[in-house]
Amino acid sequence: MDRTPLPSLDPAAWSAPPAVHRWRGIALAVGLVAAAACLAGWLLDRDQMLRSWLVAWLLWLGVALGSLSLAMIHHLTGGAWGLVIRRQLEAATRTLPLLALLCLPLLAGLPAIFVWARPEAVAHDHALHHKAAYLNVPFFIGRTVAAFAIFGLLAFLLGRWSRQQDEGGGAASGARMRAASGLGLVLMVLVGTFVSVDWLMSLDPYWYSSLYGVLFLAGHALSALVLAIVVTWLLAGHAPMSTAVTKKHFHDYGKLLLAFVMFWTYLAISQYIIQWQANLPEEAVWFQHRTHGGWQWVALAIVLFHFLFPFLLLLSRSLKQRMPALAGVAMLLLVMRWVDLHWQAAPTFSPDRLALHWLDLAAAVAVGGLWLAWFFHQLAKRPLLPVNDPHIEEALGHG
Amino acid sequence: MSVDSPHAPLPAPVRPPVIAPGHSASTVTERISNIVFGRMPRWFWLAFGVAFMLVLGLLASIGKLLFVGIGVWGVTQPIGWGFDIINFVWWIGIGHAGTLISAILLLLRQEWRTSINRFAEAMTLFAVACAAMYPLLHTGRPWLAVYWLFPYPNSMNIWPNFRSPLIWDVFAVSTYATVSLLFWFVGLIPDLATMRDRARNRAQKLIYGVLSLGWRGSAIHWHNYESAYLLLAGLSTPLVLSVHTIVSFDFAVGQVPGWHATIFPPYFVAGAVFAGFAMVLTLAIPLRRLFHLEDFITMRHLQNMGKVTLVTGLIVFYGYLVEIFTAWYSGNLYEMFMMRNRVLGPYAWSWWLLILCNGLVPQLLWLRRVRSSELALWGIAMFVNVGMWLERFVIVVTSLHRDFLPASWGFYKPTVFDWATFVGTIGLFLALIFLFIRFLPMISIFEMRTLVPEAKIKESQG
Repeated sequence: MDRTPLPSLDPAAWSAPPAVHRWRGIALAVGLVAAAACLAGWLLDRDQMLRSWLVAWLLWLGVALGSLSLAMIHHLTGGAWGLVIRRQLEAATRTLPLLALLCLPLLAGLPAIFVWARPEAVAHDHALHHKAAYLNVPFFIGRTVAAFAIFGLLAFLLGRWSRQQDEGGGAASGARMRAASGLGLVLMVLVGTFVSVDWLMSLDPYWYSSLYGVLFLAGHALSALVLAIVVTWLLAGHAPMSTAVTKKHFHDYGKLLLAFVMFWTYLAISQYIIQWQANLPEEAVWFQHRTHGGWQWVALAIVLFHFLFPFLLLLSRSLKQRMPALAGVAMLLLVMRWVDLHWQAAPTFSPDRLALHWLDLAAAVAVGGLWLAWFFHQLAKRPLLPVNDPHIEEALGHG
Repeated sequence: MSVDSPHAPLPAPVRPPVIAPGHSASTVTERISNIVFGRMPRWFWLAFGVAFMLVLGLLASIGKLLFVGIGVWGVTQPIGWGFDIINFVWWIGIGHAGTLISAILLLLRQEWRTSINRFAEAMTLFAVACAAMYPLLHTGRPWLAVYWLFPYPNSMNIWPNFRSPLIWDVFAVSTYATVSLLFWFVGLIPDLATMRDRARNRAQKLIYGVLSLGWRGSAIHWHNYESAYLLLAGLSTPLVLSVHTIVSFDFAVGQVPGWHATIFPPYFVAGAVFAGFAMVLTLAIPLRRLFHLEDFITMRHLQNMGKVTLVTGLIVFYGYLVEIFTAWYSGNLYEMFMMRNRVLGPYAWSWWLLILCNGLVPQLLWLRRVRSSELALWGIAMFVNVGMWLERFVIVVTSLHRDFLPASWGFYKPTVFDWATFVGTIGLFLALIFLFIRFLPMISIFEMRTLVPEAKIKESQG
């Protein structure tokens, strides 16, 4: 068996290529232009701007939280796949301060988004009155702050121990990361469930589904993997990562992506079958709004492009091993993550008619641009590989 | 490789081996096949005798049922689904660990699965056999079940209701049983050939020879074999999800509070794996001691199974908590009543015991010390076995006994025949496991051979 020499394991050899700085610049410029458009939108139609912003913010929050979950899953289970994308995942978790900042306009405009935040609506509604013990503005803000504190602390600690490992901290930081990840995943699922109820399910406060939290978190993991694949593909075009990333890694990411697409679909279709067949008025109406008045085409697009096409494409071994092709499927899925969130949120405000405002797109680009700029900035701060991880040679010898 | 930096990485931590040191291909073969060719110890026949007595009890209670009708069971209004559904779901859940270990862990390249997959798969088959018995017996006249269950063009033009998950169950469970049987049998073929070659008399040679389907171990055989095995693993993987998902639909697509919950599919699947791993631990811990297989089923296996039990247990616990929150959040009168009745009503004992068995006790598995103690693992597994049965009891009985209309509330009283059938299937399960141990190699010989050190050396040279 002939072995290509393994790439260097000197941290200095793994600093980010100049291209990362260029990508940061592009993302920042695009993000700022779109953000300016959103600012104009804020002045023109504040309610619409907030609703569009919510979907965009949830999409990129999902990437960050999903990255935190994937990083923790990898700390617990190990495997070659995770080491090559670990720095991407960690950089994504360090965007949480930015996401907290981008959340402020939403917190300031809750009544424009959530019907339960309007006192006059709650006063005349029995169901909302019952739920007011949970769905009220101060408690909602408190929960959001607590969620950011918990996720932020996890991201901070894991990031710090990872840096200590780079600096030669070795086994001790590995053990700490594993221990924190076990507890952290439990927290992620519990807190993430409440985030899903708060920010998405309570848009229609009459509807409920106990699966929703899991579906929300599965979507996050998918978004995070998608970003990691795209960024790894970008990095693989430049030294030093061009020496580390191989077809075999991409084959593994393709398999993981297929598994996540299937898992997300499994949850989404289970929720649909159960509520469709029971046909209870307070539940079925949620799907009624989302499958009529033009929204059915969006639903169909989700079936086709969030599941069927990616599923069929990802069955192919040669596609999974071709980096640009896999990155293409990943980008399609990132768009579909946004479509899915839009399909869940927007019919609340326009139940009878398909609605797509220019601000929906502007907000997605604005949050995305700013997020990516912050992400690339964070990515460039550390070596692109955790070179002191005890399993790194195994991961690189993978090819 | 070149390390040209002062930051030389630490050596990768050495994982404990999945097979004890000092074994070679021939010692592995002898150790495992000698269990079948040797004499069984006295305790084996005693235990088999006890299990067989329970099977006789099962046959007697089935006889009574067929003669009199399902009135001999405690099922009646409002609880029309009693022990038979509880036990059906319990058994079929137990089967899931076998498929998970053999298929999913194979695809995930987890080599620690190797020594436990064979008997976990056997466990799957026997558990599915026990499970399938219940819905068939519940029809009262199982010989007519084909007519009720299978869609076929009959002269009366009557079809089963295709929108009912009960009919999906028929297909899901029968597919699952078929694929599991194939997977198990295909996995056995090379070992059956080994048994044939080592047989000590003509009868053994003949039987193992026929079953091994002319296996010669040629390179072409192995080549086809590997791809067939991987394909079957790929086929089995979705089945792990689909079977218990559809079992959960039996409840969830209805409107009864306590049954209608969207969390049911993933939580049932996790519960099934949870129950299955608990059963594997329940069986593996005594067996490895009694047959001196500590070299093959090592502490590392038990620890890993402990970890899977912990993770799936946490998912199940999450399901219980989410149900409480959703019941309140729904604001639905009946949902809220159901939850209050579950936690504080006449059957509250079952819910609290369930939380103890499935929610609290498995948390001990967070501790490495507990995961490294056979006794503790076995004790926790027994709690989980009981807890998973209670979970189905809570879902079936507590939800049905007080639904929408107070005038139709009632209680459930299992009869002696319910108990005899339940205990009888446990006996049947154990008796089949004993027969399996007696006649077939309970650990995969050829896969264990790939784990011994000499196989590794050959691999790296090749």
